Amino acid sequence: MENRWIAYLIPPFIITLLLVAGSQFVFIQNSFYQDLGLGRTGTDLTLTNYLKFFSDSFYLKTFWITIKVSAIAALLTLFLGFPIAYVVARMKSKLAMFLLAGIVVSTFVTIVIKVFGLIIIFSADGLINKTLLNLGLIERAYSIIGTQEGVVIGLMHFTIGFSVLLLYSVVVTVPPSLEYAAQIHGASRFRVYQRVIIPLCAPGFVVGGLMIFNMCMGAFTSAALLGGGRILTLPVLVQRTVMMEVKYSTAASIAFVLLVSVILINLFSLIAIRRLRSARLVVA
Amino acid sequence: MQTWTEKIIMFIWCGFSYVFLLSPMIVVMGASLHGGEFSAAIKFPPDEPSFQWYSKIPAEQFEALGLSLIVAAVATFIAALIAIPAALGLVRSNFKLKFAVSSVFRAPLQIPAIVSGIAFLQLYYLIFDTSGLMLAGTIPGMLLGHVFIATPFLFGTIVAVLQRFDHRLEEASYSLGAGRWRTLYRVTLPTIMPGIYSGGLYAFMVSFADVPMSIFLTAPGFVTYPVELFYAMENDFDPSILASSSLVIVFCLAMLLIVQKVVGLETLLRSGGGSAR
Repeated sequence: MENRWIAYLIPPFIITLLLVAGSQFVFIQNSFYQDLGLGRTGTDLTLTNYLKFFSDSFYLKTFWITIKVSAIAALLTLFLGFPIAYVVARMKSKLAMFLLAGIVVSTFVTIVIKVFGLIIIFSADGLINKTLLNLGLIERAYSIIGTQEGVVIGLMHFTIGFSVLLLYSVVVTVPPSLEYAAQIHGASRFRVYQRVIIPLCAPGFVVGGLMIFNMCMGAFTSAALLGGGRILTLPVLVQRTVMMEVKYSTAASIAFVLLVSVILINLFSLIAIRRLRSARLVVA
Repeated sequence: MQTWTEKIIMFIWCGFSYVFLLSPMIVVMGASLHGGEFSAAIKFPPDEPSFQWYSKIPAEQFEALGLSLIVAAVATFIAALIAIPAALGLVRSNFKLKFAVSSVFRAPLQIPAIVSGIAFLQLYYLIFDTSGLMLAGTIPGMLLGHVFIATPFLFGTIVAVLQRFDHRLEEASYSLGAGRWRTLYRVTLPTIMPGIYSGGLYAFMVSFADVPMSIFLTAPGFVTYPVELFYAMENDFDPSILASSSLVIVFCLAMLLIVQKVVGLETLLRSGGGSAR
């Protein structure tokens, strides 16, 4: 019996392993050749590309901006995602399904279309600029393209649908009966949030936040379109280095730095899950 | 049991999030009804609504849409052929390093798509150097990349369904005299079908919406729809793009309705379509 199931596993495993290992090995190996430009590379394995990455202030600044915008976007996404997840999880009606359907559709629609919408909303004679100008809050029309805020908003749109689904699965694990129990014993609603809902959801928030942060770090499309070439993040830099400068090895080394940081964050969140799980067992 | 203040705060907070979430799509659909001639005047709400731009969608955009649909459908199909036996094999068998094997199947989700994109491009260049076969800019090359990013979604959801699977169903089938294949087709597969549907839907949608992987694997005259949009946005765009985007949004809505009818939204959420990431 046992062997039969392993036989099912082996062919797909070999295919997937070949795809994963093959593709990753080739580009990681490429990243260790010196880049001579125009797609040509040196023949000896060196660390030149990496030394350049970690000594050039341009690359380091890009790295820092990537981390910064991703962290801000992840926090804001959690902030906006939580109420939807909470309300939908606690509501038992057709309306909840309708609200969820809206979220699922927004995760399906390609981010390029959403960025389109954002650009129209923030265009010079768009709704927001007109209102702000009429109220006298700003002097000139605000442009979303090429600003850090723009990139943050773009990243938030890339992750918010997913984060609501994630937070929903967290909130569902907290039974409403716990809230009732606390209230019957005289806790105020504020107290219920403080002592029941937030502590029980916290592990999910931490892990979800890290996953969203990770998605933002690797997000290309929204960062590229809203960065407008002025605000660069690592994924955008990878694409530009390949398409505009035709420097494959340099791009490969940037991609590898990105990959390693993302994997490190993942490992960290795995450890965090374990820790929080064991901690929670003690509490419960 | 919630107080009124809390309800009002939640309502405003939630409403704000919803406006944030849905406004870009609504604005795109609204602005696609733009009535004027000049694209510079794209506005929301549109001045004199008309459907004129829907009839002016250029042929390239329809070709790109067609390519995207074909690639997404075929990639999802191949991904299912890989993920179904993989999930069955993994959940049912018992061996050490199970976690490592599962990680390999889930790895493409952890790798940023842009990294996979450049990795596949360089892999294809290497294949070209050694055998003269160019995969970049061809259907098989594009499919391989999309299968790579689509498989983990199916794998994740099917594993999730299988872990809740009641083994007695299969035992009953065997004891009633059904053979191995008959049990697989009549008992096992129908039970995991909701997982296959919802995982397949996510896989299809991710492949259909992908830019960072496809952008490296396209060639002139061979462009998927999101990449076509991406380039259009970097250059100048006219409202016909908004029109075709609106058609895509309607298509996504239709897909959702079909899923709701076939497996139900609840299954889609419970089988972890989202948490598969």
